[in-house]
Amino acid sequence: MNYTFQFGIALDRLPELLQGALLTFELGVLAFWGGALIGLLGASLKIYGNRLLYGLAQTYVVFFTNTPALIQIYFLYFGLPEVGIRWSDYTCVLIGLTLNAGAYLTEIMRAGFVSVHRTELEAGETLGMSRFQQIRYIIVPHIAKYIYPAIANFFIVILVMGTSVGAVIGVDELTGQAINISTENYRWLEMFMVTAVIYVVLTFIASISLALIGRWAFRVKAKIF
Amino acid sequence: MLERLANEIPRFFSGNNMILLLEAAGTTLLMTFLGCVIGFFIAFNLVYMRQTPGVFAAPLRLVAISYIEVFRRIPFLVIIYLVLFLIQAFVSNASLFSIAVIAICIYATAYTAEIIRGGFESVPRQQVEAATVMNFSRWQTLWNVIVPQAWPVIIPPAIAFMISFIKDTALVSQVGVFELTFRAKELNNQGYSGILVFGTIAFAYFTMSYPLTRFGQWLEARLASPGHQKRP
Repeated sequence: MNYTFQFGIALDRLPELLQGALLTFELGVLAFWGGALIGLLGASLKIYGNRLLYGLAQTYVVFFTNTPALIQIYFLYFGLPEVGIRWSDYTCVLIGLTLNAGAYLTEIMRAGFVSVHRTELEAGETLGMSRFQQIRYIIVPHIAKYIYPAIANFFIVILVMGTSVGAVIGVDELTGQAINISTENYRWLEMFMVTAVIYVVLTFIASISLALIGRWAFRVKAKIF
Repeated sequence: MLERLANEIPRFFSGNNMILLLEAAGTTLLMTFLGCVIGFFIAFNLVYMRQTPGVFAAPLRLVAISYIEVFRRIPFLVIIYLVLFLIQAFVSNASLFSIAVIAICIYATAYTAEIIRGGFESVPRQQVEAATVMNFSRWQTLWNVIVPQAWPVIIPPAIAFMISFIKDTALVSQVGVFELTFRAKELNNQGYSGILVFGTIAFAYFTMSYPLTRFGQWLEARLASPGHQKRP
């Protein structure tokens, strides 16, 4: 019934946890940018593509948004070696997360593309803007303003929910590192409390910087809280 | 590779395995549903707490806000481990299923609280002021003025959250609850091909998630007030 908390033991391992946090951040950023590229491609296919390309993009989105990221990563990690593709755990998590993020970002970006009205472009044309100017001054600011909050929010989701899945197949990111250390010193509760605090701090830093970037670059009033 | 699949498929789709997987799918759905519904009611109270006016209610508001902000920033996997070890430190024989439900509940509370708050704030302020002028109590204002207008805004995203959470509960397999992903790993460990097992499980999740997603979209279109209906 009585449990004595010993945070000292957990805090001694802080450097290792912070190393894990760095890997978490790296995974999150890489998966996000990979996903953003896929999302841009997917959204373009869905809007400008013919029926076949649209169907392809739509199948990808529907399939990846309706199955768990964990199962996708398990498939890469336990399934693909049977056809001779052996990736390390890190590669599997990175590719799985990228594909998963790509599906969600496709939908977010499509919403942004759709939000530009024809009339805005026509107004631009009337003012004698070139095609490049239209993209620079009408399309990009409009899309950025429209989708920036959603994308910033999604980055946090990947950074937290996404990367922690890696721990399950043994990537030493923050959660994985916490599991590793706890199996050595058996202070699971303290380790995970410290880990949770690190996650909160990490995402607060990310949220605040994203909000500031949004305000500075796109004049978006992104909410921090 | 193909030979191996051809050999294993009849064995894999045997009656025993299918019953096992169906039961596991039931567990997945049940714990998601329980966790999210309980979480919804707690979140409702949390939002009520958060919107209590007055200086003396400041600690209440602080508790509600920090709960929502903190638990939305911790990965579900970490919450599962925290709940598992916290409960096991004080209660010796808690069932894993109940631990999973509590973890889901904690997480769902934090997320649905934001959805509910969004719904409450979608009601024009003037209506609340009018209710105050007519001497409605806070509870009456909430129940007779805000909720009837807010629920078409709250219900669709809350259901969407619950459906998307069916997938995230896959992580609960880590602590050994007998749900779909856990059974999949078990079957894979028994020697069935990973492609076959995880392909099937992915399809199982898909058949649960996709129809529900479509239902959610239908409901959203149905509940939207005429002024807010999507442009075709």
